[in-house]
Amino acid sequence: MGRPGRSAPAGQPAPAPTAPPAPLTRRRALAGLGGALATAGGIGGTGAMATGCAAPRAGAAGRTRLRYWHLFGGGDGVTMSRMVDAFAAAHPDIALEATQLQWGSPYYTKLGMAGAGGRAPEVAVSHLARLAGFAPGRLLDPFDPGLLAAYGIGADRFPPEIWRRGRFDGRQYAVPLDTHPMVLYYNTDICGRAGLLDDGGKLRPIAGAARFTAALRAAKKATGLPALTTETLGPDAATPWRLFATLYAQTGGAVLSADGKRLALDDAKALRALEYMAALTDEGLIARRTDYAGAIGVFNGGKTAFHLNGEWEVTTFTLSGLPFSMTRVPALLGSGAVQADCHSFVLPHQQRRSGAGNEAAHAFVAWMVKHSVDWAEGGHVPAYLPTLDDPAYLRLTPQSAYRSVIDDVALDQPAWFAGSASVMWIELGAVFSGVLTGSRTPRDALREAKARLRQLLDTPDPLGGSV
Amino acid sequence: MSAVADDEGRRARWTPGRAALLALSLPLAVVWVLPLAWAVAISFKPEGEATGTPLRWIGSTVTLQAYRQVWEAGDLVRWMFNTAYISVVTTLLTVVFCAMAAYGFARTDFRGRKALYGVVLAGIMVPPQVLMAPLFAEMVQLGLVDTYWGVILPQVAVPAMVFILVRFFDGVPRELEEAAFVDGAGRWRVFWTIVMPLSRPVLAAVAIFTFISTWNNFLWPFLVTTDPNGMTLPVGLVNVQTSYGLRYAQMMASVVIAGLPLLVVFVLFQRQIVRGVARTGLAGQ
Amino acid sequence: MTTSVTGPAGPTSTDRPAPGAGPAGRAGIRRRWTEHGLLFIAPFLLTYALFLLWPLASGVGMSLRSDNITGSGGVYVGLDNYAEALGDPDVWSSMGNTVWFTVLSTVPLVLCGLVFALLAHHLRFVRWLWRLAWFTPFLMPSGVVGLLFLWVIFPSDFGFADQLLASFGLRPGIGWLTDERYAMLSVVAATVWWTVGFNFLLYLAALQSLPRYVYEAAELDGAGAARRLWHITLPMLRRTTGVVLILQVLASLKIFDQVYIMTGGGPDDSTRPILQYVYQAGFTGYRIGYASAVSYLFFALIVVVSLVQLRLSRRGGEESS
Repeated sequence: MGRPGRSAPAGQPAPAPTAPPAPLTRRRALAGLGGALATAGGIGGTGAMATGCAAPRAGAAGRTRLRYWHLFGGGDGVTMSRMVDAFAAAHPDIALEATQLQWGSPYYTKLGMAGAGGRAPEVAVSHLARLAGFAPGRLLDPFDPGLLAAYGIGADRFPPEIWRRGRFDGRQYAVPLDTHPMVLYYNTDICGRAGLLDDGGKLRPIAGAARFTAALRAAKKATGLPALTTETLGPDAATPWRLFATLYAQTGGAVLSADGKRLALDDAKALRALEYMAALTDEGLIARRTDYAGAIGVFNGGKTAFHLNGEWEVTTFTLSGLPFSMTRVPALLGSGAVQADCHSFVLPHQQRRSGAGNEAAHAFVAWMVKHSVDWAEGGHVPAYLPTLDDPAYLRLTPQSAYRSVIDDVALDQPAWFAGSASVMWIELGAVFSGVLTGSRTPRDALREAKARLRQLLDTPDPLGGSV
Repeated sequence: MSAVADDEGRRARWTPGRAALLALSLPLAVVWVLPLAWAVAISFKPEGEATGTPLRWIGSTVTLQAYRQVWEAGDLVRWMFNTAYISVVTTLLTVVFCAMAAYGFARTDFRGRKALYGVVLAGIMVPPQVLMAPLFAEMVQLGLVDTYWGVILPQVAVPAMVFILVRFFDGVPRELEEAAFVDGAGRWRVFWTIVMPLSRPVLAAVAIFTFISTWNNFLWPFLVTTDPNGMTLPVGLVNVQTSYGLRYAQMMASVVIAGLPLLVVFVLFQRQIVRGVARTGLAGQ
Repeated sequence: MTTSVTGPAGPTSTDRPAPGAGPAGRAGIRRRWTEHGLLFIAPFLLTYALFLLWPLASGVGMSLRSDNITGSGGVYVGLDNYAEALGDPDVWSSMGNTVWFTVLSTVPLVLCGLVFALLAHHLRFVRWLWRLAWFTPFLMPSGVVGLLFLWVIFPSDFGFADQLLASFGLRPGIGWLTDERYAMLSVVAATVWWTVGFNFLLYLAALQSLPRYVYEAAELDGAGAARRLWHITLPMLRRTTGVVLILQVLASLKIFDQVYIMTGGGPDDSTRPILQYVYQAGFTGYRIGYASAVSYLFFALIVVVSLVQLRLSRRGGEESS
């Protein structure tokens, strides 16, 4: 993730460098520099960058060039580099160039501009809920169903709901890799002392808001510190939105209509969610003013009992040796629904997408999805159904402990302004941040959130929806 | 160092007043050096100690590990080359184009010259940042997104530099050039063999200022390059995270490396840079 | 603008024979002076027209359409974009942030520049040291400055700023960039550190060009150092201050880089400047027509500020001359 501290605390064991397929040694770097200098000699030349070629082309050794953009940092970044290396080793004919760009809004901006500029990479990662805003057909190219089928990828291998989110106008624009829900991390030592664990050392099931509050109180008593840490503030703070979206989804409410075109926010239900958030803050059960790095740092330091976040920080806590486990966010206000988004692969728009590069992109996507048990190590729940029954996946703990959540995930409705790191997340995250820090009342937050949502809805989709 | 000569031969007398000034200046100078010094300090620490508390300037060992890793990742070399290439070409084109144009405005006459010069001067008021949306759209149409020319060309026509050079040429007497005409030299030859050499100091000032601002430019290269291979140093550092992850020592090593080239240039050409910036800065920016 | 730009005086006389004696003749020389003018201007003019005038004009056209980033799908919407921008609270808040940043940063930047220049000027030794300390940050790319402050100066707890507080016995844990109460001030602090060197240099150059005889006369009159500063130096620097102020205000209004890198405009858009809003509207939100309209509103602000300041400085110039 982009900002330092957005995904891992200080002092985390360093992730391994993302090595290109054939690691760039000093000699190769110098050779490249020499070649570049030679190009530069003729100022009157074309001036196009050595790599500015739009169509994927064969590399020096007759290999197909495959450029891949992703946004995974922290533990995810480590896992992704391992998988990229493995793919490269298994495909000597493909020259894979993986690039990790700054997470969040900067990533999506660059991806969109690359699509508009026509020299986009062959394949990239995108959140599934962002797809609607990416104007499938304009900034994204569709997958070739024949090619996908040849590599063994089809609708029957994915949860139907998630696969369908990648479809627009009868064409498939995204192949899902995983789903990443919000989960509850708990410190097993503290929870044990607070009497919250069962005989097997697992958190006893918590049902309902009152029970959860009671558990937090017990944990607070055991440490003398707020029982729960989560990101409550910061630039682009998304967690307040994710927490609200989870609680609100549990009441059965929807933020937007199913087509993403109208406001569907139910005041009474939204207030229930916001008032519960405010109550936790008022009672000092949540650490009030904590940014992302701070929330992780405090939990990682073994100081608090609970931590609410996406499941992707599992690597961070595992590596630090913290006594912890994870579970689904309990059903607090009704159902067990939980906010989530999915990572998926997309084909950014290229002026001339065809040939070996495009085929390599399909091969890459299929390979990654089929090897998603490696990906699951980073905490994500694989979207490729055969993986969910893979013994290797089931052996992963605590990662496989919350896999049932895949049936209860609540993705944003498909609006052009929704999805991970979208303008909606940033705008509403900032509003709900106020509830968690105590600077806004629930009513005030609801009013402001609705105003901001209305403004987004009033703005026509700049790309004019799907094709 | 050349700066010593600035004292113009007057030896400083040691007075209580001056001691007080020194007592005021030194802490201020230290405060200004601290952030960069801290970056350097972290870049030489082992990664595990980079963010340790309490504050410690030297780690358990002094290591070049971070620099080695940054170098081996390769991106920085590529970006540094891109930046150097773009800055050199932009500076050359700017100096030549602006000098020619200024000479044209200062020394020649044609119908509409004054009006045209007015149009150019008005351009000083247009901040390039205002043009980011239409200029990007234009680049998409011209197919120049992700090319060197896409970065270079919009930075070449700097009206403020024409203004500076016109003022300079206005102050230069014409006799030398006339004499050359008398000898039968053509306009073109006069410009290159007499005017340009004569203008070396002011051209150097323009060149230095252009080079620094191109090297450091962020917004435009940031917009027009999406391919990480084609990014400039400042843009790549901010956008691409390959292999750095949250590695503070490595990040600071790249920051130090990225800041170093202009620092070295500054130490080498301190006098020229100070004078160049002071001279062009007043009219430019 | 105000300062004259002259190189070392060109040769004022020559040993050459008088004009007219050569083979070309008077008429030929006159023609030489006037011919080829446009040719000399052509390369500049071409790039100027293509990459400044044309986008300036086409931007006006775009601002009247609902184009998206792919350059298609738009229709002519008249002044709708401008009307929307004027009613868009985000335009006003980011315009407000921009002006607020300009106010907060201009005063310390001009004052520090002046003070540093006075110090360096009067301390006649180790001048390279003062330049190195106060000017070199200006030579750093914004990427370097932004990342430096984001990664190791401003993080809570282990960051340099917090550690400095801690070493004075104060409680660390300030969200320098993540807390709405401090984020803008942190951006201002980083900016002052970064760019004060420019104003420092301008003042230093001005100080060095002040005529020495005035001081010598004042010294003979027995004027103390403080009086000389107050009654001679500062008044004589008034014109320079005017120029520095204009340049600083215009530069501060154009803030983008360091905010984008350090806070991304957050928290809750509290540091987002107008240029970043243009960027977000056009490139993150793909509404390139709307972004153009917003950027022309900003352009109008810049023009107004330039004209006002030009007027003020002209009046100031007349007074002092």
